[in-house]
Amino acid sequence: MSTDRATLDIPAAVLAFLFPGAGQMFRGQLYRGAMASVGVLGLFLSGLLIGGIDVIDSKEDPIWFFGQAIVGPGAFAVDALHQSQFKAWAKVPSITGRPTWDTRSGYPVETRTWIEPVPGAPDQPGKNKDILRRGHWEWRTPTDASATAGPPNKKSIAKMNELGTLFVTIAGMLNFIIILDALMPTKRSKPGRNALDKLDTPAGLAVDAAISVTSTGTGS
Amino acid sequence: MTTLAYTPFIDPINAQDFWFVLLLPLAFFIAVGYKAVRTVDMRLYWRQVLTFTIQIVGGIILLGIGAYLVIAYAIPSLAPMPG
Repeated sequence: MSTDRATLDIPAAVLAFLFPGAGQMFRGQLYRGAMASVGVLGLFLSGLLIGGIDVIDSKEDPIWFFGQAIVGPGAFAVDALHQSQFKAWAKVPSITGRPTWDTRSGYPVETRTWIEPVPGAPDQPGKNKDILRRGHWEWRTPTDASATAGPPNKKSIAKMNELGTLFVTIAGMLNFIIILDALMPTKRSKPGRNALDKLDTPAGLAVDAAISVTSTGTGS
Repeated sequence: MTTLAYTPFIDPINAQDFWFVLLLPLAFFIAVGYKAVRTVDMRLYWRQVLTFTIQIVGGIILLGIGAYLVIAYAIPSLAPMPG
């Protein structure tokens, strides 16, 4: 009977989800955890830098958000910020023929205007019946006299949106691997399986020379 | 309507003309994170990161070449366009 059955390290996995690499650090693998964190957060922040906050949008890009959410609370925080601070209300078409109210990103030609609550305003179609009775941001056309300011962010388009979304989603996929490694400590194979693993081969020495400027940390 | 200035992490950067350069940090950060949990001997970590980065970029280039050959030569030879 095999005696090397893997045990599940639930606390490490929870920590890994809360912060990338924290699971490995919890198990004492500080350098490994730190580098895992650099990889995931590097992808996450690079994606935001490339595509802007628009690349994390659970409402308009829900499929992508499934992958992005695995980065952890940071992805949910950015999404909540995006939904609450960068969007505004507008009437959207409905299959019933009566436009309903919902939040969405603004178009470049639109302006975001604060609408004061109107006590006693009639119910609106759809699930946001009381929208007119509470204060809210609303998209207006530039010609509207009450228009105040344009969208608070530029919506990313084309390659910038594709790459930014890809960066953040791959960050989530990568963190999934890192969470699994924290949950089920990997039975790593012995080094030396390929030539580059051996320190003294010509290929290994050539790569060493190319990366001599980098630090060779010694984690566990 | 007011025009807002560029705000990092809020607005997208303008790199439409050299977007492919962004594949380098993509491959690098994937390698940094993946090799952090896969490398056995951490003395070999940066070597494996560099190797994996080159493998990812090389793989993407080969996929690009393959896709070009299919679109430019294979498909036209299989289904010639009239005229």
